[in-house]
Amino acid sequence: MRAKEGFVYKQMHGTGVVVPVGETSREFRGMVTLNETGSFLWERMQVEVTREELVRALTEEYDTDAETAGKDVDAFAAKLREAGLLAE
Amino acid sequence: MGVSKRLGNIYRFAGLNVEMSPQYPTLLQRSAPYRVDGDVGADIRILPPTGGVEALRDAAPHPADVDLARLDDVNEYLYYGGVFYRALLHFDGMLLHASAVAYDGKAYLFSAPSGTGKSTHTQEWVRALPGAFILNDDKPALRLVDGTVYACGTPFSGSSPLSVNVMLPVGGVCVLERGDVNEIRSISASEALPWVYGQTTKQVDAPEGELLLDVLERVLGAVRLWRLRCGIGREAMECSFSAMVGKRSE
Repeated sequence: MRAKEGFVYKQMHGTGVVVPVGETSREFRGMVTLNETGSFLWERMQVEVTREELVRALTEEYDTDAETAGKDVDAFAAKLREAGLLAE
Repeated sequence: MGVSKRLGNIYRFAGLNVEMSPQYPTLLQRSAPYRVDGDVGADIRILPPTGGVEALRDAAPHPADVDLARLDDVNEYLYYGGVFYRALLHFDGMLLHASAVAYDGKAYLFSAPSGTGKSTHTQEWVRALPGAFILNDDKPALRLVDGTVYACGTPFSGSSPLSVNVMLPVGGVCVLERGDVNEIRSISASEALPWVYGQTTKQVDAPEGELLLDVLERVLGAVRLWRLRCGIGREAMECSFSAMVGKRSE
């Protein structure tokens, strides 16, 4: 899976911020904010990546086990899909 | 930007020389006070749209019996404003959809979606405070110069003609909501961010998007931010004034 193209991301005042650019900015008008885990995953999803790779990245970066990290990845992917930010 | 050969007139606002050649009454009238003569280079050059302003007629739906001259007039005004505010991102600046009132050497900006009552609120300041005036009633430009954020009058001020060609340091930016009681509180950059993003240029390409987030971060980090819920009238004005200026009006 990977993040949809047409957005720029920036870490700003302690929040990860994603806004649409180019053609995307004509239809998608909102701003999406990401927490620390969300920001971490969003940055890694700028290229095609598997669920397992994201889970491994989370467990290496944070003090978390594979099961919890897996739930975090699934929840984040669902949130992105709902917001129209996941390339299908 | 940084162009040598002159094709249009030069207008100076927001500390920038803007080259353009308005054809229709609204932009001609609103830009006239900003015109400068002499051999000055342009920081920003705004060319007419491909095919001319008339080519914008079908960009948005309009009634079949629309007054075309009036449509072209509005389209020219909106088009040039849009181009200017995107170009402004390259000069440490951004649009804030707000009514900006000037008082005692500083600008106080009230930002909200159209119809909330920004102008109604700032008019209360003008009525109550000697020397206060509207800096720009709808689309002030913000510019960062040496770490200070300035609010600037421009020819672009929405449906209101109220804009003055001055640049004043920002005393505060306030997001405004309608409410039954008057209450104001200081807010963080993080809380203000989605509001302010909602009231600035959003149709940008990727490099402009990066610039926008960069400017937003620095502007929000350099100004005092407030959130106001208020009704209409003098008491609402007293509420924002006492918090943002830090004293009571006469």
